[in-house]
Amino acid sequence: MKSRFSLDLARPSRRHWLGYLLLAPAVILIGLIIVYPLFVSIDLSFQNVNIARLDQPRRPFTIANYERLFTSPDFWNAVWVTLKLVVIVSLFCFLIGLGTALLVNNKFKGRSLARLLVALPWAIPEVIAVVIFAWMFDSSFGLMNWVFITIGLIDTTVNWFSSPNAAFFVVCVTMIWKGYPFVSIMMLAGLQSIPEDFYNAARVDGANSWQRLINITIPSLMPVLGVTLVLVMLWVFRDFSIIYVLTGGGPLKATQSLSIMTYEQAFSFFRMGYASAIGIVTLIVCVVASRLMIGRAPDNI
Amino acid sequence: MLRKKLTLLAACAALALSTNVALAQTKVLKFVSWQKDERGVGDWWASVIKAFEEAHPGVKIEWTKVERGAYADTMTTLFAGGTPPDIVHLASFEFQKFADAGWLDNLDPYIKESKLDLNGWAGQDTCVWNGETVCTMMLYFGYFLAYNDDLLKKEGLSVPKNYAEFLEAAKKTTKDTNGDGIMDQYGTGHETRGGGGQYMSEMMNYTLDAGGRWTDDKGKVSINTPQMVEGLSRWKTVVKNSLTPRDLSAGEVRQLFADGKIALKMDGPWLWPIIQKGKAKDQIKTAMVPFDPPVGGSSNVLAIPSDISEANKKLVWDFIKLATSDKFQATYATLGASPPPSPRADVTAAKAENPNFDLLVQATQAASKAKVDRIPKGLEIQFNEFSKMIMEESQRMIIQDLDPKTVAATMQQKAETLQKQ
Repeated sequence: MKSRFSLDLARPSRRHWLGYLLLAPAVILIGLIIVYPLFVSIDLSFQNVNIARLDQPRRPFTIANYERLFTSPDFWNAVWVTLKLVVIVSLFCFLIGLGTALLVNNKFKGRSLARLLVALPWAIPEVIAVVIFAWMFDSSFGLMNWVFITIGLIDTTVNWFSSPNAAFFVVCVTMIWKGYPFVSIMMLAGLQSIPEDFYNAARVDGANSWQRLINITIPSLMPVLGVTLVLVMLWVFRDFSIIYVLTGGGPLKATQSLSIMTYEQAFSFFRMGYASAIGIVTLIVCVVASRLMIGRAPDNI
Repeated sequence: MLRKKLTLLAACAALALSTNVALAQTKVLKFVSWQKDERGVGDWWASVIKAFEEAHPGVKIEWTKVERGAYADTMTTLFAGGTPPDIVHLASFEFQKFADAGWLDNLDPYIKESKLDLNGWAGQDTCVWNGETVCTMMLYFGYFLAYNDDLLKKEGLSVPKNYAEFLEAAKKTTKDTNGDGIMDQYGTGHETRGGGGQYMSEMMNYTLDAGGRWTDDKGKVSINTPQMVEGLSRWKTVVKNSLTPRDLSAGEVRQLFADGKIALKMDGPWLWPIIQKGKAKDQIKTAMVPFDPPVGGSSNVLAIPSDISEANKKLVWDFIKLATSDKFQATYATLGASPPPSPRADVTAAKAENPNFDLLVQATQAASKAKVDRIPKGLEIQFNEFSKMIMEESQRMIIQDLDPKTVAATMQQKAETLQKQ
């Protein structure tokens, strides 16, 4: 006799239950790891909390954190710094990534080694790469000052981390170096999926290299390009370790991005309600930017 | 075959059960510290742990290292999650936030019950928060001067005794020794990159000597004074003229000094073990700092979290009692190469081992007598924000070549705003 509570997943009407059952562990984990902390952050951002504890009674509802945030020059400075970083780093990552992908897509002796070298910065752990760059740009004993002085580009040493512009430049260089291989790998995969027939037909029509790049390569890469750009922009938007290890957001907040500001408010100044408000605003900006970027993606892909 | 498998399974289950029972019988106290693996003081902590475990059979201390840079975040997360370490080790500039949140237990009943005499204990006043003793001070230090005798002699200089002599020596010993257009030897060394707390300590060498204090005895902000303006001018002179290497962390500056690239360095007792491993070990000598009073202050504290069981609290107090005992305060002097906070500690062995020990004691006493501390009174809770503000305004003064008078006024106004929050 069949049990009253048996679950017959073979029945056509219950076949989809199996799918839900198999998905359940992942959904529960995502709920615990991502969704729950997100709701806690939203809740905290509407409370005047310094050090948060989950077992503490809820503080009264307030929008003071958001009021303070939108009237704070530090916040708008962080928004501006983040925006500059996103635009500059994404642009150069795209240009260098596409350039290197086109280069290693050609057939030449040592291509495998060249491909390895292009991808190498991606494989190096972020913090190690940052420490290497910090030493290269060290104001007193760094390699860059020595090189620039030796080739006559500058006549006195540059204090790379004491000058707001120089520090921002160093952060950008490090981020571009760390970020372009990802674009390069994605572009290379995209390039290899373009049928050779397209190029052959264009050659027959008399198209030169530039025309082939503009009319065949770039349009064919658009679906990959769109997704890659969104991923790179999101990475720059939320990257923390490069800026934190290199400059800590300084000097004079010249490299203080939204992620650095969130961390500083939460763990240096212990203003977790205010930090949550910054985090929520950052999240909203990220979601809106991603939607705008990939909103049209289904048409392309 | 099946019987064999079943027997094997039963044996494994029995073994697992017996291991669990054995583990359950051992009580584990969690101890998180950034000083694990540090030469000297790390060895001292290890000796205290060993003695504690010997005196408490069945109790083990699980000692975990967390890097200083990630320490405040880690401890905050542990406390906020309701799982604080049993033995709480914090820096003296950060425990106030934890005490203010009610996360640290009142130690007064334990002190009273065990009759622990903390009279004359260096820096212990700092541990009183809202009228309760929430910690025991583990180190109070004073800065001493370490100088590279060879570098000074090459320039015909003697050991500086005041700011004017110090500045002259720093200027003369800052030079490009190989003619490549890059300075490779510096008169002095300060951290100018990193956390605000360390940056502020470096500045205090000059502000204290000029008679400036961040706050007065009542905790009122006192930055906009002629003395502080003079102190800020001195700091600007030293940094803007690159008499110190720029943008280096404290550890990197210490290493450069130990390797003979810096002539004069003011620092705490922890500099001595670094000098001993450096290339210029034989050229380095020590003296009192050429400033009055020397920079000094409380360093780190031990506390008991409010959230743990009463049984664990008693065990942690036993650990604190052991660490503050005369015996271990004496070994702190030898292993940690620092004057211990206890006035009763026998430092004869330390004096015999470390030729600078008398100097360290003298520096500590001079700082203590002048009531110097890195954490300004009245700004304990806002210390991180305050020190960050001081660092940023000082950087602005140097980068934008601002008048120290204007900078002092800005600092005063910003500090007062912070204090009101």
